[in-house]
Amino acid sequence: MTMRRFIDRARKDEDLAQEIESHLAHEQDAQTARGVAPEEARRRARLRFGNPRTMRERVWRYRSLPWLDDAVRDLRFALRSLARTPGFAVVTLLVVAVGIGVNTAVFSVIDAVLLKPLTYPDPQALVQLVLTTNQGPFAVASIPEFALWSRQTSIFQQIAAYDFGAAGVNLTGSDHPEQVQAVHVTRDYFALFGAPVVAGRTFTAAEDSPNGGSVVVLSYGLWKQRYGGDPGIVGKTIQLDGQPYLVVGVIGRNFVTDTPVDLWIPDQFELNSHEMVVNYNVVARLRPGVTLAQANAQLRLVADQFRRAYGSRSLPPGGGFGAVSLQQFMVGDMRFPLLVLLGAVGFVLLIACANVANLLLARASARRRELATRAAIGAGRGQIIRQLLTESLVLALAGGLLGLILGFFGVRLLLRVNPGNIPRISATGPSISLDPRILLFTLGVSVITGVLFGLIPAIAASRSNLAATLNEGSSRSGTSFRQGKVRCLLVVSEVALALILVIGAALLIRTFHKLGAVDPGFTTHNVLTMAMSVSGDRFQTTAPVAQLVRDGQDRLQAVPGVLAAGASNCLPLESGFGMTFDILGRPKGNAPFTGGAGFYSISSGYFSSLEIPLLRGRVFTERDDATAPGVVVISQAMARQYWPNGDPLKDRIQIGVGAGPAFAEPPRQVVGIVGDTRNWSVDQNPAPMMYIPLAQMPDGETALNSKVAPLWWIVRTRGNPYTVLAPVEKALREASGDLAVAHIRTIDEVEARNIARQRFNMVLLTIFGLSGLLMAAIGVYGVMSYSVQQRTHEMGVRMALGAQAWHLRRMVIGQGMMLALLGEAVGLAGACWLTRLLASFLFGVKPWDPMAFVATPLLLSMIALLAVWIPAQRATRVDPMTALRLE
Amino acid sequence: MVLKRPPEAGDILQGTLDMLVLRTLIMGPAHGHTIAQVIENMSENALEVEQGSLYPALHRLEDRGWLASEWGVSENNRKAKYYRLTPKGRKELAAATGRWRRMTRAIDLILGPETE
Repeated sequence: MTMRRFIDRARKDEDLAQEIESHLAHEQDAQTARGVAPEEARRRARLRFGNPRTMRERVWRYRSLPWLDDAVRDLRFALRSLARTPGFAVVTLLVVAVGIGVNTAVFSVIDAVLLKPLTYPDPQALVQLVLTTNQGPFAVASIPEFALWSRQTSIFQQIAAYDFGAAGVNLTGSDHPEQVQAVHVTRDYFALFGAPVVAGRTFTAAEDSPNGGSVVVLSYGLWKQRYGGDPGIVGKTIQLDGQPYLVVGVIGRNFVTDTPVDLWIPDQFELNSHEMVVNYNVVARLRPGVTLAQANAQLRLVADQFRRAYGSRSLPPGGGFGAVSLQQFMVGDMRFPLLVLLGAVGFVLLIACANVANLLLARASARRRELATRAAIGAGRGQIIRQLLTESLVLALAGGLLGLILGFFGVRLLLRVNPGNIPRISATGPSISLDPRILLFTLGVSVITGVLFGLIPAIAASRSNLAATLNEGSSRSGTSFRQGKVRCLLVVSEVALALILVIGAALLIRTFHKLGAVDPGFTTHNVLTMAMSVSGDRFQTTAPVAQLVRDGQDRLQAVPGVLAAGASNCLPLESGFGMTFDILGRPKGNAPFTGGAGFYSISSGYFSSLEIPLLRGRVFTERDDATAPGVVVISQAMARQYWPNGDPLKDRIQIGVGAGPAFAEPPRQVVGIVGDTRNWSVDQNPAPMMYIPLAQMPDGETALNSKVAPLWWIVRTRGNPYTVLAPVEKALREASGDLAVAHIRTIDEVEARNIARQRFNMVLLTIFGLSGLLMAAIGVYGVMSYSVQQRTHEMGVRMALGAQAWHLRRMVIGQGMMLALLGEAVGLAGACWLTRLLASFLFGVKPWDPMAFVATPLLLSMIALLAVWIPAQRATRVDPMTALRLE
Repeated sequence: MVLKRPPEAGDILQGTLDMLVLRTLIMGPAHGHTIAQVIENMSENALEVEQGSLYPALHRLEDRGWLASEWGVSENNRKAKYYRLTPKGRKELAAATGRWRRMTRAIDLILGPETE
């Protein structure tokens, strides 16, 4: 069909105008020919033709799409009218930009963590296999479990087990040995995750069998950094812990792992093993057509089968096997906090909307005569609303664009705050990028925002009484009662929302301070920690490890500036093992063992390097070695729990009851009680603890330990620990036969990382709260100063009738504070209801913490008072004469 | 796009002017004033072309490709825009005439013979 109709309208109109001229001329000629005088002929021609302009308009309209024309005209008008009030435009734009910016930033995080599919092929089919217990699912598995699961080929297409790579390996055989992250994997691992192979191949079935040889697959990063991207690397041999390993392949750069990995080594499981140690993560790919429910149904049967094969104690009571979506599992407990954050930024946006709506209302009142004039010359109500909405949308979209930019950089700033370990986001920020979802989100939010804050003022403005407005004196044209009510309502909601945000922020600030004030039970200042990988063959029994620890500790203590040094198989605040035990001579009834407690194996210098106080008895010395009688030191919490009335120092305990042959050992005498420490995390109460000398570990346990965890060195220094780092590293290299250390951090840093998530939440909510507070203050100020301005005349009359300045001030303040207090009351009620959602974020603070619920409204009232004071002061400066003369 | 209106019944009056204009031009190119005059004269002044509708109709017909136009000099030695029928317009005229005749015949049948 003809698009020609819409093209080139101006030229065609010009053409038509000439055509009309020509027609009139011809008509005039015709009239003249009939003998009519030229003047009269001209008049008649025009009369007969009618209004040429109307006809031209008719043709013009026929050539246009009315709505598009209107939209363009509205847009032009909106831009012009905004340009006339740049101050208003800038303030509004900023408010909208902040509101949308924070939303975009938070949504970007949510997008990256919750919404984006995993980067593996067909990620929906990937499931995490878990041990289901009464305490929830645990993603840990033993070799026999993996062996049984991998036989379930009717539900699983592929299955792979891999360890957590925590132990690290030493890349040796060159001038600078290096500790790298090695993950042990079964052969299907790479195919399961669709890892791209850039050179060579991955492991064969033979290589992933016991005695399958020493082979390794390198990561792209290690290949580039350590081997300069050597194209001939496949087929070469590298040294890991002094053993030669054949490089069989290199994985591509884009392969994403949950923790950084430098190289992969085959698991080489003995599938008939009865080793019940749960040290593996198992992920499977469901067979096409198999649902999660079907897989779980079958896994329940598999759990029964497992119990029958390995005994009723092989699974905890009520325990079983299950499968959960890998993505859901990875996101895990981040889902709820992120949604709460999204709710909080939603509040910020609502406050911004209310604020802008308020500004627009004020603006609309100032423009009442303009709008009334437009209405008087024929603009319909719909047209006026459309016009005002166009202005709001222009503001919202421009603000949205600004907000997008703000959000883009905001996210990078957010990640600088160190969110701790949010899954799927690395601190360097590559996994957060602008994608269509974020753009769409921002666009949607902008449009909704524009309509939200534009509609109420537009409707209110269009409702005005024409005649009254036009007849009113300009100076007196005040705000109508209804508009005043709307504005007050908006301010009240702003204050209420801001209060809820600030109370939330206050709760998190209190939480963070409580966490910071927690005494972990040991000294955190000037303590350096580092990990040494002891995964090599020479550390598979206790004696060489004990030798390394004694030698290292001696050398460290000789370093100038070092006050104390020790070693442990776990790092306090970050990790710990659990172990069962019996108290000898105490009946345990039907229970398989007396109890369970945390378990650290430590060197003699451990307690002094962390300054953990000895409460009774003694700590270990170098004489507590493999040849000496077994000893154990327990924590106060353990003493309280298991010896409420007795004396632990008189008892002997048997550690590792029912844990398997690797843990078999003679009973140990309790020789000391030390202070409690928070070994798992700052926000968890101290658990009962058992400490044994590293030198007295059973060999089997040492071997296991070396496979799953590094040896942690702990060094307390006189000053800044990093100043002695070089001599400390040198001492450890000498003691260990040239092994490098990794994960070098101070305990302060470990602690900071431990509470990074809480800090992240606090910083975010504080930012949201403050921006909400600021906007609410602007809102109160705006409404009151506008009201004072509109009531200048009234103030003048009051003063003329004898009102004193303080009367007026009190009146304005009273009215303003009334709004603020009303908002606060609503906000308090809302906060009571909403802070429950924060309960899981809090530590040492109740969701209805009186401090937060009293201090925050006070703070808000003070700010509101400040915001009201300025207009109140202005009211007192009204000169009655001027005010009355304005009449 | 809903630019094209179905030329079927119901819109007969709008269509009638179009048809008459097309019919006028079958005798050769003409400008707007002439077209109006011809229609009036041929109908023995029974039809008076409302000039406010003539030009919109001409432009519409041209947009549809039934007419073509160019500026020329008229018999009065004045500038005038001449319209002429395109082959497409000729086809449309035939179709419109057919429709018109069918309709008037149908209406005649209903009204019956003149009984005055």
